[in-house]
Amino acid sequence: MTAHHGPADPVCELLYQHRELCERAVDPLEIAAVLEARGVTDRTAARFKHRDVFSLAEELYARVPHTGPGAVGGVTLTADGGQVAAAEKPRAVALGHRPRPAPAALLPLLPGALCGSTLGVLALVRDTPSYARFAVAAVGAVAVCAGVRMALRALPLPKPLVLCACWLFAYALFGDWLLGELLGGGPDIPSATPVALPHGVPLTLALAFAPALWCARGFSHAALRGLTGSRSLEEFAAAVRPLLAAAVALFAGFLLALQWAVEACTRALGRSGAVGGPAPTASAATTCLALLLFAALLLTAHGFGGVASAGLATACAGEAGALMCVLAARLPGLDVLGRPVERGVALLGTPAVPLVACGCAALGLLAYACTALTRASAHHREAAPT
Amino acid sequence: MRVALLTEGGFPYARGESALWCDRLLRGLEGHEFGVYALSRGPRQEAAGWRELPRNVVRVRTAPLWGPGPGPGPGSDGGAVSYGRRERRRFAEHFTALAEAVCAGEAEDGGEGPAAEEAGVRQSTAQADRFAAGLYGLAELASERGGLAPALRSEFAVRILESACRAPGALRAAHAAQVADLLAVTERLERALRPLSLDWYGARGEDPGLSAADLCHAVGGGLAALPGLLAARAYGVPLLITEYGVRLREHYLASAAGAVAPRSAGAPVRALLASFQGRLTREAYAQAQLITPGNAHARRWQERCGAHPGRLRTVYPGMDAAPFEAVGERAAPAGPSGGPWRSAAPTLVWVGRGEPSKDLVALLHAFARVREAVPEARLRIVETGAGAAAEGPGGAADYGAHCRALAARMFPCAASDALSGGQGPVSFEELGSPAAPTLAEAYGSGEVVVLSSVVEGFPVPLVEAMFCGRATVSTDVGAVCEVIGGTGLVVPPRNPRALADACVALLRDPARCALLGAAARSRALELFTVEQNTEAFRGIYLELMSHRSVRADGGAGGAVAAPGGEDASLPFACPAEAHVPGRWAGTARRVAAVATGGRRAGTGTRPPRTPADAHGGALPPVPSWATPERASDGAPAGRPAGRTTEPVPGDASGSPSGGSGGGAGRDSEAGPRRSGSAGRHGVVGGHESAGRHEGAGDEESASVTVGADMGEAEAR
Repeated sequence: MTAHHGPADPVCELLYQHRELCERAVDPLEIAAVLEARGVTDRTAARFKHRDVFSLAEELYARVPHTGPGAVGGVTLTADGGQVAAAEKPRAVALGHRPRPAPAALLPLLPGALCGSTLGVLALVRDTPSYARFAVAAVGAVAVCAGVRMALRALPLPKPLVLCACWLFAYALFGDWLLGELLGGGPDIPSATPVALPHGVPLTLALAFAPALWCARGFSHAALRGLTGSRSLEEFAAAVRPLLAAAVALFAGFLLALQWAVEACTRALGRSGAVGGPAPTASAATTCLALLLFAALLLTAHGFGGVASAGLATACAGEAGALMCVLAARLPGLDVLGRPVERGVALLGTPAVPLVACGCAALGLLAYACTALTRASAHHREAAPT
Repeated sequence: MRVALLTEGGFPYARGESALWCDRLLRGLEGHEFGVYALSRGPRQEAAGWRELPRNVVRVRTAPLWGPGPGPGPGSDGGAVSYGRRERRRFAEHFTALAEAVCAGEAEDGGEGPAAEEAGVRQSTAQADRFAAGLYGLAELASERGGLAPALRSEFAVRILESACRAPGALRAAHAAQVADLLAVTERLERALRPLSLDWYGARGEDPGLSAADLCHAVGGGLAALPGLLAARAYGVPLLITEYGVRLREHYLASAAGAVAPRSAGAPVRALLASFQGRLTREAYAQAQLITPGNAHARRWQERCGAHPGRLRTVYPGMDAAPFEAVGERAAPAGPSGGPWRSAAPTLVWVGRGEPSKDLVALLHAFARVREAVPEARLRIVETGAGAAAEGPGGAADYGAHCRALAARMFPCAASDALSGGQGPVSFEELGSPAAPTLAEAYGSGEVVVLSSVVEGFPVPLVEAMFCGRATVSTDVGAVCEVIGGTGLVVPPRNPRALADACVALLRDPARCALLGAAARSRALELFTVEQNTEAFRGIYLELMSHRSVRADGGAGGAVAAPGGEDASLPFACPAEAHVPGRWAGTARRVAAVATGGRRAGTGTRPPRTPADAHGGALPPVPSWATPERASDGAPAGRPAGRTTEPVPGDASGSPSGGSGGGAGRDSEAGPRRSGSAGRHGVVGGHESAGRHEGAGDEESASVTVGADMGEAEAR
């Protein structure tokens, strides 16, 4: 080998000329193909005492230091790893999220702002007739929905998911009142209207939308970074699990802070924060609902829309089932059915139903996310929220 | 006979490689029925549309090898959802075999000598077998259960690939693979293996597809041959591979170019994909009955990639000689004294696209030397495809401008004179301009045609110059030597002095010029015409068919053939003409598929094309040509006699098979009309069935079938 490296060695010169090619090549045939494309023919190869370009390429491939037989795995790894990290970085960014202009970055705040202004308008027009207030509320609801859709425009939302989310929102607004009426023997259809809506709940949920999106995005970003850095699937899973926990914990923290702030605001404005039950249960129910929706968002963003829909549907079924049980308990002989709900409500107030339903579903979805989102294939390509 | 033309990024698309060649082949082989099965490479290709299809294309089916695959999204739990425990185990087994073969490195040369070599050969053979086993296993799974794409994209597949990469003996680059690399590789493998789950094989769909074809002709050895491999495996359809540019080599070039691109795949991805392509190519070469490289260069690559030399047969690409006919004829009798076509000054002509690989700079330097010896010499540089170059990345246009500037510096009078009337020694012209309206005129305007490339595949300008009967000086690159074959001068590349000496030698000796030109013209007319190419493939088709009948019917038809006292393994026991399609041979049409053992006969559900075909479809699935009464009184037996004794007088080609092919087509003039209209009905049915198939969400393959009388509809 040493004799070859002398100045009389013609291949050395060729090696120098095509150094980069030989270092990057993964196969002698790749070197042969590129050499031919650069004008090296069999006649040229004959000058280097080779039969054809193929054998010349084989010598070149064997003689390049870091891919040659002399190199140990570690050297290769660091060299390749560095290259890969350098090469993959822009790709990860490109796959995840393009740098967006400022208005787009603020888009997640839109639902919260819309909801807050709607509630503000409602507070201003408190003395007007009810149909006017209803119109304002309807317009506000539509606007909030449009804002959410706009912020999530790049995400394919399955229809059942949207329907379930709407039901959950509706229950969060009217469910407690309805359950209370049902338990009390009502409702008297023509005259019964919800007296006081829990204004804090929609405001909290709308405001929580922005941190939810940010947390989900941050999680995706961090996972993509982990994707390029980790060497094995187990390592990746181990790196992603704390990320997921951190994202959920961060969101929960945001949520509690928001609830506290909304509570403080409404109290300052002279309204009671929760209606129909003790405040801690109601706020716990709202937290569970928000966590459930957050888990659904995470899963949907990574291609598990079906599972997310199933989770939401479970919660919906739980809530609807509770209402049905209470109704069914009025039939003769079926009063057993209503007893668990009655007991729960007696213990925790009407928010017990959404608390249990959303809490269980959220736990289930988060547990599923723990396994599903730590898989590498979940983070591949366009499987990130935008 | 029914030929399935398999392409990848090729024929029916207007923007396909080898599309022109395929078009000419199909139009040249009028007598055969073609089904085109095309894999498309990208949205731009699909958006550019199709070429106008020849009349003998009865079916076109396409499938994309790009974009999101069928089935649920990438993150979903595909493998676990759609596959049960047993399928999962089968998938794991086969994909493991495939992945391990792909990840396995070349045999480590532990020692010298024949023993180590033999061990290496044995090991690589074992890996090739594993690859084939995995590939066909996956194909079987896909045809029985479907759902291969989601499984290949699932975490399960990534995990299998990871363990294969970490296994001892794997490629060094594979050891370094990171999670992102594994994901990229599985994604690309899923795309590459999409042909496995297509409904082209007649097993699931109603369309018999490739199972009914008599021959699979794959244009390219890589993914294009994959459907052919499966058809060969399942139905014994012979596979013919034609490569004008070796696909594996193109893959390596693209991979090497991708290595320096900013958003490149990592080295492990490139290594694994190259390994996959290499294994696939080897398998295709091993299973192909015949491989036709376009030139010796392709042939060397194919031999290098494991093609058996005995199965290689070089078929030169054909070019249309007609545009050059007039100039070539004028050149031939001109003789040493020169004719009226000669310009006043001895002229060198260069024709081509102004690209760096053409090394115009060396040409200009050489021309400076030529001027020292022959002061009145002129050089015409005729650029073709300048419009495309201007639209392109700009490299070609920049190079052209650079060369013009260089010429203006080297020959100072050229710049001013080029505009005023071409008095200068060097003129740059574009094809289509008044000075060079056609290619033939451009070649005809000079005594010597120069080719100065440093890189060349099959040198098209050289062949055109040969058609024009011009003496040539070319550099020794690519297939130049085998094309020119002694009818022109060849000099080493990047050597202006040698180029200049050769040009001067020819310019000073017009007699030699004329001799060389005439020899070049006759050589080109002998070897590089479209007719030569088409006839070569006509012969190859018939040859493969004659082999096939013996091989494929040995098992199924043996018992049936025995009463007649015929041994099924006798050569020519079943003549190639038995496979001519129904519209030729009337009732003697063969039933589509052989139903043995696990094979499925698609005959019953095949859309009826002729009454005879419908009748054949209702028969029990026994090869119709194997029954004694058909062999005795049917048309297949009678046809050969008629063919050999009745050459069609008006046929210019003179080849017996070609002449009788045209004659048979003319004889049964009424037949094709009838069968054409019937074919349209059958075709519509097939289209609907494919539509239903798509509606079921089974495949993403669009299916369009084209009736034989489509040309009439267009004419109206």
